[in-house]
Amino acid sequence: MEGLLFYVFGGLAILTTLFTISSKNPVYSALWMIGSFAATAAVFVLLEAFLIATVEVLVYAGAIMVLFLFVIMMINFKAEEQKGLRLSPLAVLVALTFLTLFGRAVGDLGSASGSKPNELVGTPGAIAEVMFTRYVVPFEAVSMLLLAAILGTVVLSRRNSQA
Amino acid sequence: MIPLEHYLYLSGILFTLGLCGVMMRRNVILVLMSVEIMLNAANIALVAFSKYLSAGAAESVQLDGQVFVFFTIAVAAAEAAVALVIAMALFRRLDTVNVDDVANLRW
Repeated sequence: MEGLLFYVFGGLAILTTLFTISSKNPVYSALWMIGSFAATAAVFVLLEAFLIATVEVLVYAGAIMVLFLFVIMMINFKAEEQKGLRLSPLAVLVALTFLTLFGRAVGDLGSASGSKPNELVGTPGAIAEVMFTRYVVPFEAVSMLLLAAILGTVVLSRRNSQA
Repeated sequence: MIPLEHYLYLSGILFTLGLCGVMMRRNVILVLMSVEIMLNAANIALVAFSKYLSAGAAESVQLDGQVFVFFTIAVAAAEAAVALVIAMALFRRLDTVNVDDVANLRW
């Protein structure tokens, strides 16, 4: 059952991502991408990372994609700019090379290949315990990063800004 | 039970699709979306490793991968916000979102 669900949601994630990068209309791309994030969240649930699955839906599918949709609506694309995939031989070569090397690396996992999953469940409490003890300094650094991003966004979005 | 490799293959395929999107789309919004796809693919690998590769480790280490995913999501959110504002500034100034048209600095 669990295996079947993984292949269903994994296939769904790949399919929706394929539609995302190949849709001519950016709005369709954004909507397909929400489906891709939902399928990924389901994969996280199968990995028992429940908090991450929730955050994936809230932050990625909720906040980030709404941001993308807002910008798509504010920029009115000209018709000729709505091209789909432009197949260039070099890009295909790079992608195939990466996929081959990645496959070789995964096929060569060695002792890790037969490892069993651990019993730990990614509940909010369990993750908070790690995040607010050992990772408290990176956590505070992330807050500074978000503050810098907010300030940068405000400065850049001012009209007639010389910055 | 699904072997670790299958999660990694899923992650690799999604990353490759994002890579294709960055290389083959010329719309700056779509390029940014593809970058998000790549970051998300890396998250799958991180969570899978945290689930499978830490069985023998101390309990406090086993959730490290999932904590990393939080930091990745925070960085992705900050990146998306700033990059989209840059895309809008680009559109206001040069009236284009095609990355091929923005080659003013190219020699």
